[in-house]
Amino acid sequence: MHEMGIASSVLEAVHQETHRTPGCRATKVGLRIGEYAGVDQESLRFCFEVLAKEMNFSTARGSLELEIDYRPASDDLAISFIEFDDAEEPEPSGTSVRKAEV
Amino acid sequence: MNRVTIEKKVLSENDRIAARLREALTGTGTLALNFIGSPGAGKTAFLEKTLERLPVHTRAAVVTGDLQTENDAIRLRRYGFPVRQITTVGACHLDARMVEDHVSDWLQEGLELLFIENVGNLVCPTSYDLGEDLKVVILSCAEGEDKPLKYPGIFRKSELMILNKIDLLPHVPFRPELALENARSINPDIAIIQTSCITSAGFDPWMNWLERRAARKKAAASTLAAATR
Ligand SMILES: Nc1nc2c(ncn2[C@@H]2O[C@H](COP(=O)(O)OP(=O)(O)OP(=O)(O)O)[C@@H](O)[C@H]2O)c(=O)[nH]1
Ligand SMILES: [Mg+2]
Repeated sequence: MHEMGIASSVLEAVHQETHRTPGCRATKVGLRIGEYAGVDQESLRFCFEVLAKEMNFSTARGSLELEIDYRPASDDLAISFIEFDDAEEPEPSGTSVRKAEV
Repeated sequence: MNRVTIEKKVLSENDRIAARLREALTGTGTLALNFIGSPGAGKTAFLEKTLERLPVHTRAAVVTGDLQTENDAIRLRRYGFPVRQITTVGACHLDARMVEDHVSDWLQEGLELLFIENVGNLVCPTSYDLGEDLKVVILSCAEGEDKPLKYPGIFRKSELMILNKIDLLPHVPFRPELALENARSINPDIAIIQTSCITSAGFDPWMNWLERRAARKKAAASTLAAATR
């Protein structure tokens, strides 16, 4: 049962990234999980939901979504993206991509 | 909507410490083995037999991880080598920081062999690099021949598989050749040694294997030291 630790690491990364984008709310985080990473997806989703509420990522304004990209025959376990909605000045629709330094 | 593309390994902090530990182990020429198997597969019994057979002058040490109790450390201390228990209090695996905290002073004093007994579990310990040279998976007869297929991660990542408790073969419906075939279907390169901690079967080839690997690690450290001198 190390899914709680994984959920916590993912949310910590979201937390750090949110600090760099003041005024925005994280809406979705992408996670790549390899077949051999030894992660139970159901259990991870459960831990993620519980912790996201506890850490105030999921609020009345909406919940933080976890998007899992499952990779067969791989031991990958990595965060690939975070999506934000701009709370103060909603951006025109479209996706802007910037590389984050982690 | 803003999408920020990031590439961050979830266990990057663990990996960072593991890399530091691996570098230290390379410098000291210490061969580190991470033993992983389900609860009761015989990890401690196997290490007890190993310590019993090690030449007394060997600079070897053991860290053993369990959720609770000092039981395994007490068993392992009987052989005269330094042993430390890591009680994880709930965590289902050892991580690199726990190991580093428990072995750093040993490494400064010089160590040829470091045995790490992980928490009994075939899943979670697989994901945590401990800076080891290799993972050794211990499977015991009576756990079922299909375990390599059900827990492919650890069989894929292990260089060596110990099939333990072969003294039980007359008493349990377990076909060792099927277990080996399953392990090789996941990892064709996996080395396999069949052992019994009761009859000592298989311990000669294991001790030879260990001696060869330890000598290779030590030689690599000497070469490195000569090159950087
Ligand atoms: N028959 C037989 N029993 C064994 C053998 N090896 C270990 N055992 C027994 O199996 C039981 C579990 O052995 P341990 O060495 O405690 O197993 P472990 O993998 O260290 O267990 P945990 O640390 O609790 O995960 C003990 O009763 C051992 O005596 C073996 O080769 N043959
Ligand atoms: Mg044990």
